[in-house]
Amino acid sequence: MVPAEDIHSALQKIPWFSTLTPEHFKKTAELAHLRYAKAGETFFREGDKQDYVYIVLEGRVSLDIFVPHHGKMHFYTAEPYDVFGWSSVTPGMHQRIAGAVAVLDSTVACIDAEGLRQFAENDHDFGYLLMRRLANVVASRLMVTRLQLIDMFAGPTETMND
Amino acid sequence: MTTTLINTSAHSAGYTDKLLLPHWAEIVKIIPEIEGVTTFQLKFTDPEVENRYRFEPGQFNMLYVPGYGEAAISMSSDLETANGLLVHTIRHIGNVTRGTSRLKVGDVVGIRGPFGTSWPLDAIEGLDVVIACGGIGLPPLRGAIYRIIRNRDKYGKVTLLYGARTPKDLIYPTEYETWQKAGIDMQVTVDRGDETWTGRVGVVPMWFYHFRVDPHKTAVLTCGPEIMMRFVIYEALARRIPSDHIYISLERNMKCGQGACGHCQQGPYFICKDGPVFPFSALENIFNVEEY
Amino acid sequence: MTDKSLTIGSTVALPKPELDLLMADLRKNGFQTVGPHLQDESIVYTKIDGLKDLPRGILSEQNPASYRMIQTGKDRYFDFIPGGQSWKQFLFPPRHTLFTAVKDGKWLLKENDEPTPRYALIGVRACELAAIHIQDRVFLREDFSDPIYRLRREGLFILAVNCLDPDATCFCVSMGTGPRLAAGFDLCVTELDEVFLVEVGSELGRSLLADRTYDLPSAFVQNTANQALERAAESMVRTMDTSDLPGLLTGQLEAERWTEVGKRCLSCANCTLVCPTCFCWDATDQVDILGKSTRRERVWDSCFNPHYSYVVGGNTRPNIRSRYRQWLTHKLGAWKGQFDVLGCVGCGRCITWCPAGIDLTEEVAAIRAEVKA
Ligand SMILES: Cc1cc2nc3c(=O)[nH]c(=O)nc-3n(C[C@H](O)[C@H](O)[C@H](O)COP(=O)(O)OP(=O)(O)OC[C@H]3O[C@@H](n4cnc5c(N)ncnc54)[C@H](O)[C@@H]3O)c2cc1C
Ligand code: SF4
Ligand code: SF4
Ligand code: FES
Repeated sequence: MVPAEDIHSALQKIPWFSTLTPEHFKKTAELAHLRYAKAGETFFREGDKQDYVYIVLEGRVSLDIFVPHHGKMHFYTAEPYDVFGWSSVTPGMHQRIAGAVAVLDSTVACIDAEGLRQFAENDHDFGYLLMRRLANVVASRLMVTRLQLIDMFAGPTETMND
Repeated sequence: MTTTLINTSAHSAGYTDKLLLPHWAEIVKIIPEIEGVTTFQLKFTDPEVENRYRFEPGQFNMLYVPGYGEAAISMSSDLETANGLLVHTIRHIGNVTRGTSRLKVGDVVGIRGPFGTSWPLDAIEGLDVVIACGGIGLPPLRGAIYRIIRNRDKYGKVTLLYGARTPKDLIYPTEYETWQKAGIDMQVTVDRGDETWTGRVGVVPMWFYHFRVDPHKTAVLTCGPEIMMRFVIYEALARRIPSDHIYISLERNMKCGQGACGHCQQGPYFICKDGPVFPFSALENIFNVEEY
Repeated sequence: MTDKSLTIGSTVALPKPELDLLMADLRKNGFQTVGPHLQDESIVYTKIDGLKDLPRGILSEQNPASYRMIQTGKDRYFDFIPGGQSWKQFLFPPRHTLFTAVKDGKWLLKENDEPTPRYALIGVRACELAAIHIQDRVFLREDFSDPIYRLRREGLFILAVNCLDPDATCFCVSMGTGPRLAAGFDLCVTELDEVFLVEVGSELGRSLLADRTYDLPSAFVQNTANQALERAAESMVRTMDTSDLPGLLTGQLEAERWTEVGKRCLSCANCTLVCPTCFCWDATDQVDILGKSTRRERVWDSCFNPHYSYVVGGNTRPNIRSRYRQWLTHKLGAWKGQFDVLGCVGCGRCITWCPAGIDLTEEVAAIRAEVKA
């Protein structure tokens, strides 16, 4: 378990943080705290206001969406060092469009989204690094979503065409 | 002069009696796996055939259901684990494979084989192994998993990435714990989870985002929907795993299994005899050519 | 007349009626004589009983998507250029029962024990013989020796015929296969107005010929034949640049031309069925009505058929562009790596019998032009 008082050493384990300058690291760490969540604990629900961006350190956090008549559909799980709730850092998004629940006991770094946005605004060098990281997160999420959309394990929906 | 379709004399050593005539094998046991997927344990009715029949994991048979026809089906075990029985796990999805769903213990099917190349279990000794498969892509790798477990110390880290549509589409779920205990890091992923699922949700290739591989000592074995394999390969290559350490099993329409009927051709290859298992380095020029 | 000096390589002048007797001898020795015959306005290869069944005084005129017979009234038998059929139907039957499975409590397998016919092919052209040699490489390999083909091939007698009047669709000179025969036959005929010049190619050919009445050919006759053969080669109008065809085609998998030809091709599979080298097959079960027995049959197939590349949920070659590309890149490309020879002998059948008049020599030229452009 990560000692609560040592957010620094926790963040240092995250590959992206090790690429930051000491100053950028320090300022980011000031915006962060750790949260221990028991399995089943909710981080946010669809419609909540955006406050944090999260990085999983241990455990597993599931993202879900409520579909009428189907219940909650789990469409992604964030694994250690994965980012979730990233849309809170992008301007223009004001509420959560999915829910996040710990499915295993989890340790998560929570970073103040508004603070991070301000920091990026004031220091474009940092802003670039942040957005570059987020672009990777978004790209990977898109890959996953596309493959899910293709529904590659489905049975044949059509017989021989032409 | 009479037509003799079986010809054993004109061929080199080994099991060669496989040209155009199937050998009967009796169904000894039927194991329902998940909805629409069944495992059959088979025993050749001719003891002589049984004795000389040998295969390597990754190879396949042409399985004949009288009146329906033939389908290419991989071995889903190895002979050691199956006590000499042939094991096939079949997804009932078309004419022949649905025909198998009507079979009962004691019925016979025809077998021609074994055909094709196998997983390079000797060549990858000493390496970390990432087995990336999805759906009905696990059965063709199960024999390799058994083999690796029996020789566990010959390999480095072994990870099994297995993806399926939903938790109830996972094949062989009762074996995962045994495999985990035998030193295989099991990473099971479903496309869509339900309320009770605490495992991973996503797709198989995303594992590469979360885990580090040592590119120079890692081999990847992949089998599943071609689109899944494509993304596994993209991710493996992006992590600089050499293309000759990435092995892929291709699926094409097959009729003969021995480079004779033409059906499975792609570029320079007959997938049935030059494959189905290829190092990706052999496919680099053709794999991404659309509709080739 | 028996001539002790007759050896492999000898050439004699054989009066035309003697060929009738030679064919009769072949039949006496257990061969079925099969050869060209005029039927329904075209030349087919079928069982023949002698000269009377050959297409006497017939010329064919072939062009893309066009085939016509012309009566010349001449006393000549081999002036035509082959039609849509090829000899492959005799070595690689279009339908062949592999076995019958019979349910008698348990399923039992009954092999096909029909006797293998022993064929004497009468009138095999140079390109056609080259095609047989190509199929030998396809069907008789170290790792796969096709039993049906092998038994038919082993017992084969080949009476070859030199082409003297190539058609407009022929391009055997480019492919290095004709029009003149070099080897691989039992007997080889060059037909002149009065006489057949016959060259001996095998011991069996020699012994059959030795029983016939013939003359040594005069220098004049030999000269006439040689000149006719040279003229034939020179008169061939269609050509194909074969330099590094495999490299060209496999390097041009995304050429514009595939899309263009994909719009003209109907995917009718004619080209593959008439082609003497195409070898693809399918196998199907023919079930009796009570479900007590089923006959498994091997039938010709074609890479142009939609089911050919079907896999559950889709088709790996879902459109005509991809199928035409497969056909041509295999025939003139991948084939070389697989069988150490190209899969085309320049017979021109696929050009004549394509209802859309698609001409592979033109397609290759267009793809070459794209590279240069
Ligand atoms: C090397 C190899 C190993 C395989 N291993 C397995 C296995 O272990 N378990 C399993 O369930 N399935 C396996 N498959 C897929 C299996 O061969 C097809 O599902 C099966 O051929 C479908 O036949 P069908 O008659 O039931 O379907 P239909 O849709 O009726 O098929 C019509 C024809 O299309 C062809 N065809 C259709 N789908 C495929 C396909 N996916 N691959 C090849 N040809 C196809 C067949 O020639 C078939 O005769 C394998 C395929 C290959 C090429
Ligand atoms: S491809 Fe055309 S020209 Fe070439 S051998 Fe076949 S039919 Fe003849
Ligand atoms: S090329 Fe011509 S003969 Fe061949 S499939 Fe296309 S239309 Fe038919
Ligand atoms: S399945 Fe017949 S050539 Fe491969």
